[in-house]
Amino acid sequence: MKNRTLKCLLVGLLGMFNACNYLDVVPDNIATIDNAFVNRTMAEKFLFTCYSYMPAHADPNAQAFLIADEFWCPYPQYSNYFWNVPFQEIARGNQGVVSPTLDYWNGLKGGKPMFVALRDCNLFLERMNGDIPGLQEYEKKRWVAEVKFLKAYYHYWLLRMYGPIPLIKENLPISAGVAEVQVYREPVDDCFDYIVSLLNEAVPDLPLIIDNEATENGRATQPMALAIKAKVLVEAASPLFNGNPDYASFKRNDGVQYFNQSYDAGKWEKAALACRNAIDTCHLAGFALHYYQPGITENLPPEMVTQMSIRTSVTEGNYDINNEVVWNNSMNNSGTMQWRSTPYLAQSFTATTMMFQPTLGPPLKIAEMFYTDNGVPMDEDQEWELNGQYKDRYSVKTATEDDKYNISVGYQTAMMHFNREPRFYANLSFDGNLWYGISNFNVDNQWVIRGKVSDYGGKVNGFYYSVTGYYPKKLVNYKNVASSNSYSRVEYNWPVIRLADLYLLCSEAANEAYGPSHEDAYRWIDLVRERAGLEGVETAWSKYASIPFKTKPTTKEGFRDIVQQERLIELANEGHRYWEIRRWKRGREIWHNQPIQGWDIEQNETETFYRVRTVFTPQFSTRDYFWPIRESDLFVNTNLDQNPGW
Amino acid sequence: MKNYELLARAFPKRVVSNQLFRVMKVTTFLLLIGCLHLSAASWSQTVTLNAKGQSLKQVFESIEKQTGYWVVYSDQLINRSKPITINAKDMALTRFLEQVLKPQSLTYSIEGKNILVMSSVDRTPIHRSKLTRVADVVSIPLQQRVVKGRVSDQDGNPLQSVTITQKNTQNVALTDDEGNYQINTHGDDVVLVFTMVGYANDEQVVGNRSTIDVILTESESGLDEVVVVGFGKQKKEDLIGAVVSANVSDLRKTSSSNMTTMLAGNIAGMISYQRSGEPGEDNADFFIRGVTTFGYKKDPLILIDGIEVTRTDLARMQPDDIANFSIMKDATSTAVYGARGANGVISITTKEGAEGSIRISVRAENAFTMPTRNIELADPITYMILGNEAVQTRDPLGATPYLKSKIDNTIKGTNKYVYPATDWYNEMFNDYATVQRLNLNASGGGKVARYYLAATANQDNGNLKVDKRSNFNNNVRLRNYSFRSNININLTKTTEAALRLNGNFDDYTGPINGGAEVYRQVMNANPVLFPPYFQPDEANAETLWVLFGNYGDDANYINPYAEMVRGYKDYSRSKIDAQFELTQNLSFLTEGLSVRGLFNTSRYSYFDVQRFYNPYYYSVGFYDRLGDNYTLMPLNELTGTDYLGYDEGDKQVSSSTYIEIMGNYNRTFAERHSISGMLVYTLRNELTGNAGDLQLSLPHRNVGLSGRATYSFMSKYFGEFNFGYNGSERFHESHRWGFFPSVGVAWTVSKEDFWNVDAVSNLKFRATYGLVGNDAIGSDYDRFYYLSRTDMNSAARSGRFGIPGSYYSLTGVQVTRNANKDITWEIARKTNIGLELGLFGKFSLEADYFREYRTNILMDRASIPSTMGLQSVERANVGEASAQGVDGSIDYATTLGPDVWIKARANFTYATSKFLVYEEPNYAQEYRKHTGYPLSQQWGLIAERLFIDDAEVLNSPLQQYGEYLAGDIKYSDVSGDGKISDEDKVPIGFPTDPEIIYGFGISSGYKNVDFSCFFQGSARSSFWIDPVATSPFVNDKQLLRAYADSYWSEDNRDIYALWPRLSSTNIANNTQRSTWFMQDGSFLRLKSVEIGYTLPIPFMQKIGLDNARFYLNGTNLFAFSRFKLWDVEMGGNGLGYPIQKSYNAGISVSF
Repeated sequence: MKNRTLKCLLVGLLGMFNACNYLDVVPDNIATIDNAFVNRTMAEKFLFTCYSYMPAHADPNAQAFLIADEFWCPYPQYSNYFWNVPFQEIARGNQGVVSPTLDYWNGLKGGKPMFVALRDCNLFLERMNGDIPGLQEYEKKRWVAEVKFLKAYYHYWLLRMYGPIPLIKENLPISAGVAEVQVYREPVDDCFDYIVSLLNEAVPDLPLIIDNEATENGRATQPMALAIKAKVLVEAASPLFNGNPDYASFKRNDGVQYFNQSYDAGKWEKAALACRNAIDTCHLAGFALHYYQPGITENLPPEMVTQMSIRTSVTEGNYDINNEVVWNNSMNNSGTMQWRSTPYLAQSFTATTMMFQPTLGPPLKIAEMFYTDNGVPMDEDQEWELNGQYKDRYSVKTATEDDKYNISVGYQTAMMHFNREPRFYANLSFDGNLWYGISNFNVDNQWVIRGKVSDYGGKVNGFYYSVTGYYPKKLVNYKNVASSNSYSRVEYNWPVIRLADLYLLCSEAANEAYGPSHEDAYRWIDLVRERAGLEGVETAWSKYASIPFKTKPTTKEGFRDIVQQERLIELANEGHRYWEIRRWKRGREIWHNQPIQGWDIEQNETETFYRVRTVFTPQFSTRDYFWPIRESDLFVNTNLDQNPGW
Repeated sequence: MKNYELLARAFPKRVVSNQLFRVMKVTTFLLLIGCLHLSAASWSQTVTLNAKGQSLKQVFESIEKQTGYWVVYSDQLINRSKPITINAKDMALTRFLEQVLKPQSLTYSIEGKNILVMSSVDRTPIHRSKLTRVADVVSIPLQQRVVKGRVSDQDGNPLQSVTITQKNTQNVALTDDEGNYQINTHGDDVVLVFTMVGYANDEQVVGNRSTIDVILTESESGLDEVVVVGFGKQKKEDLIGAVVSANVSDLRKTSSSNMTTMLAGNIAGMISYQRSGEPGEDNADFFIRGVTTFGYKKDPLILIDGIEVTRTDLARMQPDDIANFSIMKDATSTAVYGARGANGVISITTKEGAEGSIRISVRAENAFTMPTRNIELADPITYMILGNEAVQTRDPLGATPYLKSKIDNTIKGTNKYVYPATDWYNEMFNDYATVQRLNLNASGGGKVARYYLAATANQDNGNLKVDKRSNFNNNVRLRNYSFRSNININLTKTTEAALRLNGNFDDYTGPINGGAEVYRQVMNANPVLFPPYFQPDEANAETLWVLFGNYGDDANYINPYAEMVRGYKDYSRSKIDAQFELTQNLSFLTEGLSVRGLFNTSRYSYFDVQRFYNPYYYSVGFYDRLGDNYTLMPLNELTGTDYLGYDEGDKQVSSSTYIEIMGNYNRTFAERHSISGMLVYTLRNELTGNAGDLQLSLPHRNVGLSGRATYSFMSKYFGEFNFGYNGSERFHESHRWGFFPSVGVAWTVSKEDFWNVDAVSNLKFRATYGLVGNDAIGSDYDRFYYLSRTDMNSAARSGRFGIPGSYYSLTGVQVTRNANKDITWEIARKTNIGLELGLFGKFSLEADYFREYRTNILMDRASIPSTMGLQSVERANVGEASAQGVDGSIDYATTLGPDVWIKARANFTYATSKFLVYEEPNYAQEYRKHTGYPLSQQWGLIAERLFIDDAEVLNSPLQQYGEYLAGDIKYSDVSGDGKISDEDKVPIGFPTDPEIIYGFGISSGYKNVDFSCFFQGSARSSFWIDPVATSPFVNDKQLLRAYADSYWSEDNRDIYALWPRLSSTNIANNTQRSTWFMQDGSFLRLKSVEIGYTLPIPFMQKIGLDNARFYLNGTNLFAFSRFKLWDVEMGGNGLGYPIQKSYNAGISVSF
């Protein structure tokens, strides 16, 4: 103080101004973090801030769900004309440690900064201990529960990507010492336990249902939290995390083993219980599988109604109509995805460039994955075996009146496009396929997709086309409007969890825990199949499967296979496939050995078009089960270990 | 003779003339006596005197009575003499004088019948103006002869007050205002010596001539030169710190409208380079003694008449208006600028009027400019062939962009609109551009007021073509006007007021996105898809607008020609400075004391407006081969316009005020102790009108108290202390003030009595050490580190809920900076050791060794992992760096015979820097750590060569930068961990800032013709070709010819080719910073050549001119460098607007 007086005196002597005050140019009320908690209104903004880190589930440019083999895109991409799709780099084996694609650890290259998110969540929780003027106690409880849910989800998101992660239970002070900030990655079991405990804390204070859909749809609820808990426990029980021997030697520098090394069946029991619990709560909250209610003027035949039920279970965002979506991400909707998924529907639209930007091309193996109209896989269908349809699936056949709702009558297309289950036609579109909706509600005169190279539905330019000849129809809302020169998309909140997902999880967990004879095993999968217009598992296999497969549903292994395929089919195009295959540890089997194939889209003639063309042969090794941690993070924190193989 | 020079300096010019005439009279008498061959010896007088306590005056009277000599002395000299007691009997006069004078520290010399009494310290009969008496002897000169003539400087300007001395005599004359002189010489073999402060001496043998015109060359080493130092001036002789003055007339020889481009190689201690040649955007980067900080502000403080200005203000400065251009490099010279001086100071003072009749100077120039080097592109056919290869070599399934028929037809030249092969450079750029400059100034004044007025108009044109069909000019045209008025008024005998007004205005017209962008677009334009524009087809015969070419349904290719001619941008920049200064001499209180107050305010404004139409694009819809007719297809009928649209750009307004109050004390005691003191209080305030943010809108403020104290003993030993005590608004209260002291000493060895080496006319050692501060350590955005920065309405953190179409959303909260009260000044500790050497009065050398140790450099904390979840990078004053180097200059000036003069100069700067403390992760590999490496050192991969084949790719360490194949760059696995990643990045090349800058040149004259040339060079720097910006075919990028000539292909697997395997996309593996694209940045260029002719004086006088000179000069005529793709000085910016060379013709006239 004396010092300061001296200074002021010394300088002030000569000055016309009081020199010390002269330099105090900053007004007192500059915004600081304290301003964010002065009242309820401001605190609500911070609550929204915590939500803002939600991964962009529906953004094809920034999302992880396209990294797998579910879609393939034109490559290379021209940034001037095209969009930048980091996932393609991962799928093509170009992931690296220097600058990892979709880096959610740092929030770089398409990822969101998850640790920043966790710091904000913790900050919010700390501040909620104090008094916030205007904030009622019941509401504060709900907000705290919501942020705990988010904290759990963000941890889960990192865990799924990176395996063991540091747990950010509380914030370290900014002034923390070097030793303190060099945190360790925790064993995966501890991570799962912590996430589950957070969810358990959150559930009681969350609302069962959202009262005010218009302003709160998308915020955390009890069904959401329980569904995530079910997913987390299933993940923990799955082969990747449950006694995975691949990581036997993956240890921390203090000797702690990251991955448990003994399989624990009890984890499946916990998972089954959680699934069942989640389903019960969902039912209590009014969730149910979605069935399409056609308009009076629509005149839809039953098979088209089934198809529309499948399509709208994803694209119908309004709870009053579709009460299947347990969690929809209101932060991120589907506009871009729809744009990238819709092919040119008619010649007249091609006059307007980029009106449609079809670039997401599901590979041939996705098309082959769907069941036949008998509800069994193509290669297990007795009928297909006998009439040779499976063997000749790549040869062509002319559509008849029987196919009139799915394939343009008289059009020649691949044999495998005939006699498929409704979900095949609901999910995919292809050369000769018919498309219901998008300003056209005449079921007898639907849009015809014509995918040859010089036809309107084919490769009309060098940037926007499907490299495989397929288009993901399910993602496109039938309510979209295409006029002569514009395409306006009716957006929907992205469905992060549908009830069908939970049903299938429950079947899977019950089978793993107790075998197919458990009451939960067939029950839930059959409900999903029923909505898809298919008979139950037991019936379908015993009636339609070839001899060796007839009893497949009765063994644990057989039923496991069935549930897994059912999940991939039911949830196709929705971004689950990549995570599911990793969870089951089937990456090498599926990705390494199955090249990305499609029809020869550069051709104009039917004979040449229906030749199988290999677009890419992916390589997959054990290291690809987990993301690499950015190299520079390891330099800063020497307690972090890189994931094996990177 | 020296005495007279000193005398001339001791008085302002208007006083001098009167005094001088009196002195001259005396001198003339003395000389006349000398001519009579009377000497002391021949008189052999003796003195007899018995004095006790007599005054010196009484003793002198006795001498006069007894000997008949006159004793010449000044009253002041003997006033302080002690009483004299002496007993002499018939003592020889000389001995008597010695006995009397020596105890009084006086000495004498006998000149004719006069005994001159003077101080024995400096043998100066000081205050000779107060001489009381002069020998009253009448004499008759022998062989008297009058020599007349005119003395001027190299540029032909007359020099006044040049001393002309007949060698070995006391015969002296001075030139008048017009530089004319007249001297009466005596005897045979007369040699006249012309001397003038700041100019090299010149000797002329008179012979039979009666008229001798002389041109004096400036000498930078003139000991009497005055140098501008912080808040004042010092004689160069007395200087302790490292301060150099740029020679302004040399700067002028670089033909450029941008002052900053003239600096490189001209000033010892300055590191400078120019990266762009676009008018208005061509400011050079310059640093004093290199860069010693990795903080925010690295460039020096620039002051014009004491006021802080920007680089652009310096760029627009006219050499004609500069009186002094000083560079302050070390601690003692910069400490007084405490807050801002750490990176060195450039200080310019402008000219002021001098008493005399009006003198008007006019300079007019016209220059032609053109790129020093153009980029060479591959021809369109090669472009197409390799373009196809680029796709297929990466993806055999990929569709080739160019059909064979297209290539064939292009080769045949079927129809240049249907099968275009566009040479965009040729379509868009003229070969040369013109520049006009006009400068006019007038100065003069009377007893009360003096003025200097200047006006300048420059017009720099760019070399872009303008479409004949456009009715506006899209070429770059920068018009700069500047006006300056410096007026000094003596309000009273002791009070002087000065008013300085300066306005500087840019009016710019140019392409919408600037000239550099035009060049970049050419690099991104496909040469074969479309022509710049089409000749109208039948359907469009009546179309009013230009039918620009484009391609594809959506016309989203870059047609650079259309982009260039579609509109224009106007900007207007104004900078006005007004400065009022009041100086009060307080000698009536105590001698040598004065105070000065200064108030300055500056206003700056900038705005731009763009006007443009959206071009209508066409492509060929149908081509009738037989009739050679084409039908055009409109591509953007809906979005095109043929009328102008409008867009407003940036508007910037700011103002600053500056107040300075200074006290000065200057006095010499007892002839030998010179002391001076200075104390200055400064206060600066700057406001911005469009900051865009609360924290940015708060004023920038500095308050400071600085001082200087100097002491010198007999001009031999010097000592100096400086300090700056400064406050900045940027820091928290507890760290707001910084104290920056410095000390210096100097010793002029050549002034010692024992020094008797005639060849060494000057030898001086200097040493300084001190602290200087820097408060600009973070960007403006990061100004208040002691406050957190919280965005309460962050869109990036917004959330929304509800159903599509009716969401409820709120913006979020984002903390972008955490408060840190400890952030404070960056401090430089500077040491300087200097040597000055003068030989034979012709050759001078100055050399300085410097060391700098910079601490408290603000830097990012590297120890905080991302798991902390901080949104801002934490920072602290933890960085440390050092720098050292030498800089120096050598000057040589001489005359060869009466008509020829030669001057040579060279200077050299070597500055190297080093990280001392740099917080970074504790890398396992030593080579990754910054410590010990230069500040602009680059780290990169070591490129071994290109991969031979795919087998080698598989068998080599995995490279972690995305896909790569045979023909892509193979890197060394330095860390040996079996993969190539950032761990393998090692320091490569030299730093990007050159460590050596040098220049050398020669000027000479013969009679009325003068010639000069100047070379400038740079060494020890590296730069990188930007592999992304030059990637051919990526987004239709052009193909450099050098790449087309040397690239890896499957047929020609040249593993050392310049360009790796072609690709139509960026291959991240190849675009890593590596040794592959590293280039040597050193060069030597002929910076300027000038030849001038000055009209003969009689002729000029006949037409009423003082001076008229014509000159031609060339700038950047050629350069030696190993790098050939573009002008090497542009470094990595080679695809921008090229650096220009220019040919310039000018005339300067004064009357």
